[in-house]
Amino acid sequence: MAEAEGEVEWELCKENIQPLRRGRAISALHQALSQQQEGTTSAVNQQKQAYELELRMYDGDDPLDVWDRYIKWIEQTYPQGGKESGLTVLLERAVMKFTEEKKYHNDSRYVDLWIKFTETCSDPLDVYRYMQAQGIGTMQASFYIAWSEEYEKRGNSRMADSIFQEGLKCGAEPLDRLQQFHKALQARVCRQMMTSMNDQETDDELSEPQRASLAELKAKGKKKAVAPVNRVTRTVGYARGLQFKQPVGPSHNSRLVIFDENKEDSEPQELKLESWAAPPTAKAKENEQKPDKWTNAKLPQKSRFGHSVVAPPPKPTFQPFVEESDQPPVVTPCKINPAVNTVLSARKPRHEEQTPLKRLQERQQHMQVQQEDEDKSGEKSMYCKELLFSGVTEFSFEELRAERYRQKCSQRLEAASSEANSKEEPHASQKD
Amino acid sequence: MSKTLQGITLKGSAELVAEFFSFGINSILYQRGIYPAETFSRVTKYDMSLQLTTDPKLKNYLTNVVTQLKEWLFDCTVQKLVVVITCLETNEVLERWQFDIECDKTAKESSAPREKSMKAIQEEIRSVIRQITATVTFLPLLETACAFDLLIYTDKDLEVPEQWEESGPQLIDQSEEVRLRSFTTTIHKVNSMVAYKRTNSM
Repeated sequence: MAEAEGEVEWELCKENIQPLRRGRAISALHQALSQQQEGTTSAVNQQKQAYELELRMYDGDDPLDVWDRYIKWIEQTYPQGGKESGLTVLLERAVMKFTEEKKYHNDSRYVDLWIKFTETCSDPLDVYRYMQAQGIGTMQASFYIAWSEEYEKRGNSRMADSIFQEGLKCGAEPLDRLQQFHKALQARVCRQMMTSMNDQETDDELSEPQRASLAELKAKGKKKAVAPVNRVTRTVGYARGLQFKQPVGPSHNSRLVIFDENKEDSEPQELKLESWAAPPTAKAKENEQKPDKWTNAKLPQKSRFGHSVVAPPPKPTFQPFVEESDQPPVVTPCKINPAVNTVLSARKPRHEEQTPLKRLQERQQHMQVQQEDEDKSGEKSMYCKELLFSGVTEFSFEELRAERYRQKCSQRLEAASSEANSKEEPHASQKD
Repeated sequence: MSKTLQGITLKGSAELVAEFFSFGINSILYQRGIYPAETFSRVTKYDMSLQLTTDPKLKNYLTNVVTQLKEWLFDCTVQKLVVVITCLETNEVLERWQFDIECDKTAKESSAPREKSMKAIQEEIRSVIRQITATVTFLPLLETACAFDLLIYTDKDLEVPEQWEESGPQLIDQSEEVRLRSFTTTIHKVNSMVAYKRTNSM
């Protein structure tokens, strides 16, 4: 009967359980949900503390292992995710901790952590490009699969495909998995094209009568010569179209050309071009200056974009951020960015201010700067800062010292017991 | 069937249960993405909207199975129905939806209808299908293209029809099992369960 209750429990909470790629262990889920009702129990806290300690005290040659286990445990223990799980922070720290460790760069565990981290970012594509630039996961099939999925999610199947090509070229492992996903993608794209072609046909049929209902006769057939039956509806279509588009002269033509499918394709592509130029130079520079100011400068921009869809004045203020002089003054790039921004700001303004990627880059710079500073001013933190701030919680010196003491004690005990053993042995031999 | 307010007969029960499987299997195929979502269309059944396949071949196959199943339900010779989901490439079993059917064989002798309202049964069926839908919260993502297979466990002495063949149980090793709700028509009782590959992360 208890089991049956547990079942009801997961079903009731289904909206608050984040689905995991690998699924959930049902026992862990039951446990987590029952604990949730009672409030966080000391058992969970103890376990968490144990992981935190292990992160700090580990001195083997595979420190990633602890992080990996800790994160997986968190995922299963906090089914609803959220802030109290500290997963985002933990992922970020884990990922950053080993950016310099070349030996982990193509470790599947580390790459998986990166992919999980990427999913929490507001700009996953940038992160993937960053990973590629750093050579993280470039030999792992999962990296290319995740990257390609991200493109596919945005409807850019061409880029999604080329990511797979890239992966195949690099000889990522396991190859058969990569090929399998590549094939699946191609199959999906084919099917999509078939359906969209059908849709387009039905769209045309649908949209033309609609325009006809707002009839206004104006003969103005630019696009192509059409049969007389169609002419009435076509010209009316133009009249309507012109009314809408009149303020935006130049984009009028492009609008005619763009079909749904192409639009989807072209938008991310432009985004891609833009950000290829951006991350190495613009973003890095911008972050070198004080991040506080930067956030202040950005927020009003965003709101202006949000309010007025096609407003020429915000464009100049926006462009310095991208630092791209050769960017054509078309409306499209603006259209993408505000959309992305508004969605993100609605979810979590904190992300907007400082994306994890930015923080990552910032941290690297910060470290460089710090080193320079240390060289210059001779300032140096003479305590193990790393140990205090590892993981998601902060440790005090006393806690660390207590743990060291405990370790020493247990070592002494072990030594004592082994000594006792060794004493016994000669005793036994004496008997013989 | 809708007229049977006065009670449930064996024939009616067999039909009800067979119908449940028809919708249940369709739901699983849709929810787990075994067939593309575009090939399903929405229908209203049991006071909720469900997805039914429009793929002619699949439709045909399922109708055949359900018709056969109905016969067996009527004879009270069926014990289990299992939907096995396997990876297309490796043939590895990834998920196993098992429906245990308990038949009350006394219903074959006495034809007196049982008392249970249609509404109550539908309510139970609805909660089973709801739960099937809700399982996405813990089931692993099926990342690769998958195929499905239907297994039916019957009484031993049953003759195997032409379209059916004997098969292994296709179990998953190292599986995680979750019991789902059950429903009963008082003649047939259906217990459902899903098994999936255990996550190696724990």
